[in-house]
Amino acid sequence: MFSAFFNHWLTQDVLVVAGFALVFFLLRAGAKNDRWERAWTRMKRDRTGLIALAVVLLYLFIGAIEAFQIPSAGGTRSVLDLFVAHIQPEKSYSAPLADGLLDPTSHERLHSRHLLGTDVLGKDVFVQMLKACRTALIIGGMTSAIYVPLGALLGLFAGYFRRWVDDAIQYVYTTLASIPEILLLVAILMVLGKGLGSMSIALGVTGWVGLCRLIRGETMRQSERQYVAAARALGQSHWKIIIRHLMPNVMHLVLISAVLGFSNIVLAEAILSYLGVGAPVGTASWGVMIDAGRTELGRDPLVWWNIGAATFALFGLVLSLNILGDALRSAFDPKRS
Amino acid sequence: MFRPAAITFSLLIAALICGCDNDPNPAPYHKTRPDGSPWRVRYMREPSDPKSFDPQFAYTVPDLQFMEPVYDRLLEYHPMKSDPIELMAGMLEEVPKKEVQPDGKVNYLCRLKHDIHFHDDPCFPGGKGREVVATDVHYVLQRMADPKVESPYFAPLEQKIIGLHEAREKGVKAGKFDYATPVSGFERIDSHTFRIHLNGPYPQLLYWMAMHTMSPVAREAVEYYDGEVHDGKVRPKFRFYMVGQGPFRMRDYTPRRAVRYERVEGYHTSVFPTDGFPPEKAEWLKQFAGKPLPLFDELHILIVQETIPNFVLGRQGYLDSITADKDSTAALVTADQQLTPKYQARGMGLEKAGLPNTFYISFNMQDPVVGKNSKLRQALSCACDMRAYVDIFYNGVSPVSNQLVPRELYGYDPKYVNPNGYDLEKAKRLLAEAGYPGGRDAKTGEQLVLTLEEPVESTEYRQRAEYEQRMFEALGIKIKVNENTFARVIERLEQGNFQLGAGTGWALDYPDPENFFMLFYSKNFPREGANYCRYSRPEFDRAYEAMAQMDNGPERLALIAKMNAMLAEDCPAIWEFDKAFYIATQPWARWTHNSPMIEYGYNKYHQVDPTEREKLRADWNRKPVWPPMALGGLLVAGLLYAVRWSRRHV
Amino acid sequence: MFSYLVRRLLYAVPILFGVVLIAFFLDHVMMSPEAKAARVLGPKGTGEVRREWIHNRGLDQPLPRQLVSYVKNLGTLQLGTSWVTGRDLREVFLKGVGPSLSITVPGFVAAFFASVGLALFQVFVRNSPLDRGLTLLSVALMSVPAMVYVILTQAFLALGLCYFPAYGFGDVGSGMLRFIALPIVIFMLINLGHDARLYRAIFLEEMGQDYIRTAQAKGLSNARVLGVHVFKNGLIAIITLVVAELPRLVLGSLLIESLFGIPGLGNVLVQAIQTGDQPVIMASVVLGSVLYLGAFILTDILYALADPRIRLS
Repeated sequence: MFSAFFNHWLTQDVLVVAGFALVFFLLRAGAKNDRWERAWTRMKRDRTGLIALAVVLLYLFIGAIEAFQIPSAGGTRSVLDLFVAHIQPEKSYSAPLADGLLDPTSHERLHSRHLLGTDVLGKDVFVQMLKACRTALIIGGMTSAIYVPLGALLGLFAGYFRRWVDDAIQYVYTTLASIPEILLLVAILMVLGKGLGSMSIALGVTGWVGLCRLIRGETMRQSERQYVAAARALGQSHWKIIIRHLMPNVMHLVLISAVLGFSNIVLAEAILSYLGVGAPVGTASWGVMIDAGRTELGRDPLVWWNIGAATFALFGLVLSLNILGDALRSAFDPKRS
Repeated sequence: MFRPAAITFSLLIAALICGCDNDPNPAPYHKTRPDGSPWRVRYMREPSDPKSFDPQFAYTVPDLQFMEPVYDRLLEYHPMKSDPIELMAGMLEEVPKKEVQPDGKVNYLCRLKHDIHFHDDPCFPGGKGREVVATDVHYVLQRMADPKVESPYFAPLEQKIIGLHEAREKGVKAGKFDYATPVSGFERIDSHTFRIHLNGPYPQLLYWMAMHTMSPVAREAVEYYDGEVHDGKVRPKFRFYMVGQGPFRMRDYTPRRAVRYERVEGYHTSVFPTDGFPPEKAEWLKQFAGKPLPLFDELHILIVQETIPNFVLGRQGYLDSITADKDSTAALVTADQQLTPKYQARGMGLEKAGLPNTFYISFNMQDPVVGKNSKLRQALSCACDMRAYVDIFYNGVSPVSNQLVPRELYGYDPKYVNPNGYDLEKAKRLLAEAGYPGGRDAKTGEQLVLTLEEPVESTEYRQRAEYEQRMFEALGIKIKVNENTFARVIERLEQGNFQLGAGTGWALDYPDPENFFMLFYSKNFPREGANYCRYSRPEFDRAYEAMAQMDNGPERLALIAKMNAMLAEDCPAIWEFDKAFYIATQPWARWTHNSPMIEYGYNKYHQVDPTEREKLRADWNRKPVWPPMALGGLLVAGLLYAVRWSRRHV
Repeated sequence: MFSYLVRRLLYAVPILFGVVLIAFFLDHVMMSPEAKAARVLGPKGTGEVRREWIHNRGLDQPLPRQLVSYVKNLGTLQLGTSWVTGRDLREVFLKGVGPSLSITVPGFVAAFFASVGLALFQVFVRNSPLDRGLTLLSVALMSVPAMVYVILTQAFLALGLCYFPAYGFGDVGSGMLRFIALPIVIFMLINLGHDARLYRAIFLEEMGQDYIRTAQAKGLSNARVLGVHVFKNGLIAIITLVVAELPRLVLGSLLIESLFGIPGLGNVLVQAIQTGDQPVIMASVVLGSVLYLGAFILTDILYALADPRIRLS
């Protein structure tokens, strides 16, 4: 029943909209502080950073229109499906813009031409490449939704309260971090079963350690500053100090790590696909496309478009995320770059 | 000052890269034979490490291939005769004859060939291998009954050979198997003659004799190789050490890389056969007739897990054959089962390789939805377009199957037409008759949702699962794919916790239709057997029991036809395809044998021509010089540019 | 110092215990003993055989007892035997370390020098188009999935151009270099982008320090400032980072090793994951965490040695 609720298209739509709204709201709220305003002024002058931001937004947009479901005859379809509805599946492989199947013995004409050819099941590779944006968006978004609050809050607590809180949190993350990451990922995925949700949980569980450590260090540094001591002298509650004073001063670090972390999540998906615990059947994903391409390069004639398209799309997203992360870092902290 | 350095550097890189040899195989043990002729090496590939070298324990196909050069068997499958598959003498003098007792019990009189010796090994007194005698076969039966050996072949023989069950029970009760107590079904007549007593007719015993599980091992070796430290040296466990009696001995095993074998001097158990040559090869094979075996001197089995490197190594001539997998099948085999012209031009040949097998989708006959509704099962079966499936995933090479028995086997009916074959219109009609017109429940109007268990451990399986889902959904129903590892799928199938289970199938243990029909015998419910469908029909059981004990003949075929009809009526499974395995052989290593029982090994009959290999390999591995030069040049130019730039600007 | 070490080591014990506990728990909920047996024995090992297999490995005992006996065995350095190959895991791991290190160490060292060089150069020409271009290049290098590197090099260099063996491994003396050349280059490429970017940031931070400004004010040449002061001080930060990477080197690279057939620990691990070889996975977890904790302690010590202001207390 639980999964039926989450699998319902309406729930998913609401979640997508809510997710975007939340991020937007958080950024707006965060940006009221003058550190963020200064950063934004600087960011506006960084042309590379802005281009990267635009590219990332484009990916998010494509992912969002694929994630957004609308009811249609006999079920639901995504908004993206509406645009590509005229592209029919073929029987099997066909080369980019070819008018026949790759199999030389077949003389069937294709239903339509495919910009990047078709894959083994005859699906249009270009459409698959676009649809995989949704997978990246969902995995990246859900994982971030799990690990960012977890890592940031625990880091703040550890850095602020110190003593046994710090000890306990340190114990947990050292233990987690000392298990080889890939094994932990695979094990969690095997326990939870395949699916984008469990993949996000697995990546979230392994991913928060780095952020937590970073925030803990920064919080410790900040706690020694005057303003925290002043707030404490005024008798403000711990909670208030953390929310009002400490959080705004570490949030930019959270933002930067979240952006860079997103790119790591996308890359991790590719490795998980190789290990056979990637995206489930029926979900387009770059990792799966690349893994399929691994053996397709042994075909004759060579099938390069599948792996090529997926690598290109993945590269574009990871590259822009990295550039964006760098740009944000230098915008927030111009001294260090 | 920079320019000469740059040129030297790029030349150096080029020389270094071009100087590399791309041969992954280690050097052979010798260059020439003692008589001066070239030393002959055969290079094979297996996809995974051996799990064991113990003939009574090993059961996976790669394991059989690793053991086969070292262990001869009591009987062998004739390497040339494939239609029908025929047994011939191995270590026994001849194929034993059935003797029926007045009380209905059956026994087989077996005579071992004289003067077969175990290989020389420190486990024997004086290091000299002793002769193989009848008690070695008895020891093998005891080992199969010993719970610590974990022999997977014990269960099928337990009720057949007299005394085997009791021996096991006694061993389990005592906590330790007692090798002093004999198995009562084994009767030693003299040093080389023995009789095996059976509870009733069981013609399949002869096939068991052609398997490694009854291959004689030396008790000395099992006891010597215990994995413990003796005199400061660790002895390997018997599971990883072979003391055989066959044509080769193992010399090296490096895990994850290779197993290497060298021929045993003076091997004379069998010679190259003189009859049964297939007509298209007869002329060529005549030269080997009656020759002593093996025909080559050294064997390398490379362990290559990945499929692409396997293909690459084959193309470069470093393997003597290329196994066609999903993607390289497209490159190697055409849809009409011929080698592609590109590889024909290289002088390669194409051989069928792989045990006769069949794949099917199982229905859970105890499921409240699919189990009680034969029309629904038939509808789903009719919706399966296996022709297109095979075209996509096997390049049209694996034949679509329409019955349980695969086509290489006795009992396959070439004239049989499957009433539940692909016909989408019929499928829709049947679905309506089953109570789901248009895929929706006639009463509630709700869409029918079925769960399909799919083993998905790689992208290839993922694609298949997606195809199968699409295939069924053409009926208007919804298929929920439940992806899992193989083990989990098997677990769910065994628990009966499924509706449709994909990826089920069977590769034969021995060439007898009984080996396939047992999959639907009601006494073979999991976990004891592999009747995952939980198909149970008393008439079928009776027919099966009668058929199992029969010798081949028209009466047996009639029973098989009856059973096929029952399976069509109840439709407990959807027949998918008989997977065809192909191997492209190199021009210097044409295959001498022709039998589908390849997994049981024919290494000793193989031949190689090292001179031709040498020539072709050099031809296939030309290295152009310009790319490394260009690379070196590029690197140097980059460095120079950087240095210059910084000089100018700083 | 000594008492600090002892304390650190003692602190590692509960962490290790936590690791074993997590691994044991995950392993237990992941698959039932029946499924484990089915996975290892394959579809033909049914009924009786499977029950025996489970019994012989003690999987039918209550979980706490299994845990206790596992921990006991760990205490005496018994890692158990592989379910799939039946080999003693100590032997498996000892044999796998060499091949793993033969790829990772040269690759890592090469990446280290290349990226330190690149980073210093970038700092030298900082904020020029060349610097920005090189940064972009580093980012691009790290944005390609590792698998794509392997596939492309394998497909073109090994298949098309026949320079290197496409697969396999050789021992020292039997032409090992030709087997490891490509994997080393790939390992280097994978690390290069990331490291260069990181080191550049570290060096830049040093550049901003007061003492550098003093040195520059004293009239030291730019190259000298960079070569001596920035490099020396930045190196301390870098070395501590490098030490934290060491466990990764021992465990090897999963992708490179399995796709090139290097018989190292990464390969062992991939096979274990694919075949469900639980003892190997458990032992890898334990080994990984021991290495991690070792590197952790080593980092602390190095910090203290490098910076006398930090006391090991």
